[in-house]
Amino acid sequence: MSDGSATKARTAMAAITFTPSGETIEVPAGTSLLDAAILCELDVAAPCAGQGRCGRCRVRVTAGEVERRSNAGLETAEILDGWAVACQTYVTGAVEIEVPERRRETVRPHGHAVAEPESLPLGCDWRQNPAVRTFELDIEPPSLGDNTSDFDRLRRALAQQHGVEEVRSELPMLRRLGKDLRMANWKVSVTLEMRDWVYGTYLPPRLIRIYPAAFNHASMGVAIDLGTTSVVAYLLDFATGRVVDSASAYNKQIACGEDVISRIIYAKRRRGLERLQNLAVETINDLLDELQKRNGIELYEIHEVTVAGNTTMTHLLLGLDPQYLRAEPYIPTLSASPKLEARELGLSANMLARVHIMPSVGSYVGGDITAGVISSGMFATDKLTLFIDIGTNGEMVLGNKDWLLACACSAGPAFEGGGVAYGMRASSGAIEDVFISDDTWEPTFRTVGDAPAVGICGSGLIDLLGELFVTGLLDKSGHLDLEAPTARVRVRDGVPEYVVCRAGEGGADHDIALTESDISSLIRAKAAIYAGFEVLCRSVGVDLADVEEILIGGAFGQYINIEKAIRIGLLPDQPVERFKFLGNTSAQGAYAALLCVNIRHEVLDVAAKMTYLELSADNSFMDEYTSALFLPHTDLTGFPSVVAALQKRGDGADARQPIT
Amino acid sequence: MTAVEIPVEKWSGTVRDVTLGSSYGGGTRTSTVTVGGETALPFLDFEGALPHRPALAVEVVDMEPADWSPELVAVWGDDLKDPAKWAARAVAEGADLIALKLRSCHPDFGDRSATDARATVDRVLAAVGVPLIVYGPGTADKDNDVLVAVAEATKGEQLALGLCEEKNYRTIVAAALGNGHLVIAQTPIDVNLAKQLNILISDMRLPLERVLMDPNTGALGYGLEYTYSVMERLRLAALMGDAMTQQPMICTIGEEAWRQKEGRAATDVPAAWGELAERGVAWEVTTAMTLLEAGADILVLRHPSSVGVLREALDDLMKGA
Repeated sequence: MSDGSATKARTAMAAITFTPSGETIEVPAGTSLLDAAILCELDVAAPCAGQGRCGRCRVRVTAGEVERRSNAGLETAEILDGWAVACQTYVTGAVEIEVPERRRETVRPHGHAVAEPESLPLGCDWRQNPAVRTFELDIEPPSLGDNTSDFDRLRRALAQQHGVEEVRSELPMLRRLGKDLRMANWKVSVTLEMRDWVYGTYLPPRLIRIYPAAFNHASMGVAIDLGTTSVVAYLLDFATGRVVDSASAYNKQIACGEDVISRIIYAKRRRGLERLQNLAVETINDLLDELQKRNGIELYEIHEVTVAGNTTMTHLLLGLDPQYLRAEPYIPTLSASPKLEARELGLSANMLARVHIMPSVGSYVGGDITAGVISSGMFATDKLTLFIDIGTNGEMVLGNKDWLLACACSAGPAFEGGGVAYGMRASSGAIEDVFISDDTWEPTFRTVGDAPAVGICGSGLIDLLGELFVTGLLDKSGHLDLEAPTARVRVRDGVPEYVVCRAGEGGADHDIALTESDISSLIRAKAAIYAGFEVLCRSVGVDLADVEEILIGGAFGQYINIEKAIRIGLLPDQPVERFKFLGNTSAQGAYAALLCVNIRHEVLDVAAKMTYLELSADNSFMDEYTSALFLPHTDLTGFPSVVAALQKRGDGADARQPIT
Repeated sequence: MTAVEIPVEKWSGTVRDVTLGSSYGGGTRTSTVTVGGETALPFLDFEGALPHRPALAVEVVDMEPADWSPELVAVWGDDLKDPAKWAARAVAEGADLIALKLRSCHPDFGDRSATDARATVDRVLAAVGVPLIVYGPGTADKDNDVLVAVAEATKGEQLALGLCEEKNYRTIVAAALGNGHLVIAQTPIDVNLAKQLNILISDMRLPLERVLMDPNTGALGYGLEYTYSVMERLRLAALMGDAMTQQPMICTIGEEAWRQKEGRAATDVPAAWGELAERGVAWEVTTAMTLLEAGADILVLRHPSSVGVLREALDDLMKGA
C-alpha cells in the first residue's frame, strides 16, 4: 500500500442530511454545500454557477457546524437563523441542511406531470352540494297490477330510496331506458347531475347514466384550461373530489396562428372557423383519451366538463364567429355559458355530460380570468388585491370582495420568446436564469434541464435585461454601451447585441445573443403591462403602493423572479412578501367549478360584478405607456429599491464614463 | 367694500439656472446669458420669482441657405453668405446669442470636414461677443465627428451643443463633459421622452445645470397647440418638484414659422393674407409669443424684425419681475 492512498483513506468524511427531502450523503470535509446538494440532485438555484456573487443558492443550516467563506447578500439576522450561501459554505462535520422549497423549473407544460390544484377557494363545500352523484336503486318490477311507466317508476324509486325528487331525463336517455332497466333486472346504478345550473337558474336533477348495479363504474369529471398556447386537463373523481391525473398538450390551433388575433383572422377564411373549432375539440379529445387510457376509464364515465379559456378560445370552441371581438367596439357574442352537452361539441365524454364554460367579462378578459379570480380567492377578500395573468395579453384585475375592475393590455409575445431573435418557450435548453458579472461582463446561466443552450425563454429574458441594465451595459432607454470593454457587446448587421452564449459554450451549436431590437420589444411588453397597473389604480384613485396583495397567475407567472421583474419595471416595486404565485389559476378555477356547484354561481357573480376597462378608450394609457418605456421607469420615485441597487453598483458601472 | 383677493399659487420646484457663454477659463465671451430660475409659471411674477428674462437667439447658417423664404433672403442680403458678418449683424439687431448651424458638413450639402467646421466656429466667435449655440449637421456620424472637434477646439467657451437626441446622446454629452460645454436635449414633443433624455444625460454625470431641453415645436397652425400643452406640462412638473424636468426650454421658432406656406408665399395667395414681409414676421412672432407663455426660455429666431418686436414685448412682460 502506497503512502498516497493511506493519506487519502484518512480524509475526514462528513455526513449531510438534507431536509425536507431526507436525502443523506457522505462527502469529504471541505466540500461545499452546493456541490453536495448537486450530488443529491437537489434543486438549489445557482445562477452565478457557484461563484458566490449572486447569493441565490440559499440553504439553512439547522444542525451542526459549517465553515463560511462568504455570506454574500445575507442579513445578520438571517445568518443567525442559520441561512448560508451554499456555494460559499463548506462542511466540516455532520450537519443537517434545509433546502428551501423552490418551484421546479424543469417541469414544463408539455407532459402530464401537472400538480393537483393546491387548495379550493372559499365557499367550496362540494360534499354538501355535489355536482354529480351516483345512486343504487332496487326498483320494483312492473306488473299488470302496477303499470306505472318505466321513467316514473325510476323516479318513484329515487324519491323513496334516496329522497331525490323531480328527476328529469332527456330523449337519448329515455330511448334506451326500457331496455336498460330490464337487462339489469331492475337493479341499477343511476348517475345524476344533481344541480344542473344553466343561465343562473337551478334545474332539478338530470339523469346522465344508468347501468346495472352489479357493475362498478367510476364517475369522473374533467376541468380544462383551454389556453391559446397550451391546454391542460385535470381528471377528477367525483367520489373523492380529488384530481387523479392530468394531461397537457399544445393547442393544435397553433398551426392556424400563434396568438388570438391571428386565429381570429384565420377564422375569416373559408371553413376556417370550422377548422379551428375542430382543432380545439381534437386537442381536448386527445387529452381526454390519454386520461381515459391511463386511468382505465371509459368515455361514458366522464360526467361533467368545465372549460376556462380566454374569450377568443371559448368562441372558437363553441364555433362562434370571433370577428366582432377584434373590431371596435370589441363585443363578444356571449359572456355566460349556454346550456351545452358534450355531444353538441363532439367531446370524448359521456354524450349527456354537461359542459360548463367559465363566463367572460369582455373580449379580452375571458373565462380564464374569471376562473383565476375565483381560484385566487380575491373575490372574497377584504384586502385590496391586484391579480395579474401575464401572457401574450397581460390581463389584470384590481379589487376585493366589494368591487372588481379588469383590463387587458396587449404585451405581445416577447416574454414568451416570440419576436425575439433567440427567444423560445421554456423547454429543454432554454436559458432561464442569467447572471452577469459587473467586473468582466461575462455571463453565467442555467438552462432548462441543464441541456446545451438553444435559446432564451421568458424568465431568462427578464434576467438578462435586468443584468445588462444593472451592470451598466444597457442604458435606461435600452441602448447597449458599445464602448464597454467586452467582446460580448458587438454590432452585427448594424444591430448592437450582447452575446450571452457563444457557439461551443456549454455545448451550444450557435451564438445566442440578445439584440437591441429584442430589448426594445421586451421594454415595450413590460411597459404595456406596467401601464395597465397604473391605469387600473388611477382609475379608482388608489396608488400602486396601496395594493396589499399582488397575485400572479398564469403559466408564465410561475417562473418569474420577482426581484428581477421589479428591476426592469415589469412589476411594481413593492415588498416581495406582497407577491404570491398562484400557478395555473385558470385550471384551478375550472377545477373548483367542476367540483363545487356553488362556485359556478360565484364565478357568474364575479363576471357580472367585474367592470371592464377598455384601455383603447382610455386617454391616460398612452401616457403611462410612454412613461414606462424606460428602465425601470421614467418616474424613478416608484422604484426606490432599484434606485438603491443602482447607486450601490453605480460606482463600478460608471467608472468608464468620463468625469469632468 | 371688500377687496378681492387674487389666489396665489405657491410651487415647490425651481427651474435650473443655466448659463451659456463664459469669459474666463478659456472663454472669450464679452457677455453671457443665464436663463431659467423660475419658481412660477411664465410672467406670473406675483406668484414667484422670474429672475432671468427669456433670451433671443438668431439662427446663422454656415452656408447660404438655398431654401429660405424670399423675405429672409431679402432682409439679410449678402450677410447670408458669410456667417461671421451675419452673426455680427444679428447682434446689432438685438440678438442675445447666436445659434450657428453647421449645415455645410452634412453629406448632402457639401460634406465639409470637422476642420472646416472648427474654422467657421472660430470666425463667428471672433466676430461676436455673445454666447454661441452650435448645431451639428444632423446626421449621427457627422454630428459626432464635427461636434466633438468643435467642442475640443472651443474648450471653456460654454457653448450649447445640439442636437443631443436619444439615439446619439452619448457622444455629444461626452464632448460637452470634457470641454465645459452645454447640450441641447431634443425629444419629439412628449413629456416622458423629454424627461427620459434628461435622465440619460444626467446618468452620464453631466450636471443638469448644463442641459437645455428642446421639446420640439410646430409653428402656428401646424401643431402649435400640442407643443404648447407638452411644454406647459413639463413646466408644471418642474414647478411641482420633478427634478428631471427642471431644465430651461429652447424653441426653434424661426425654422418652423418660416418654412410654412404663410412664411414663404408672396404670390398666389388670397388678398386677405396681406404682404409676405408683414405676414412672415407676424407668423414668427405669434408662434414665439405663444411658446413664451408656455414657458420657453430661449427663442431661436430668423427675422431681425421679430427680434425687435419680441424684445419690446419682453420688456413689457418682465416689468414687474
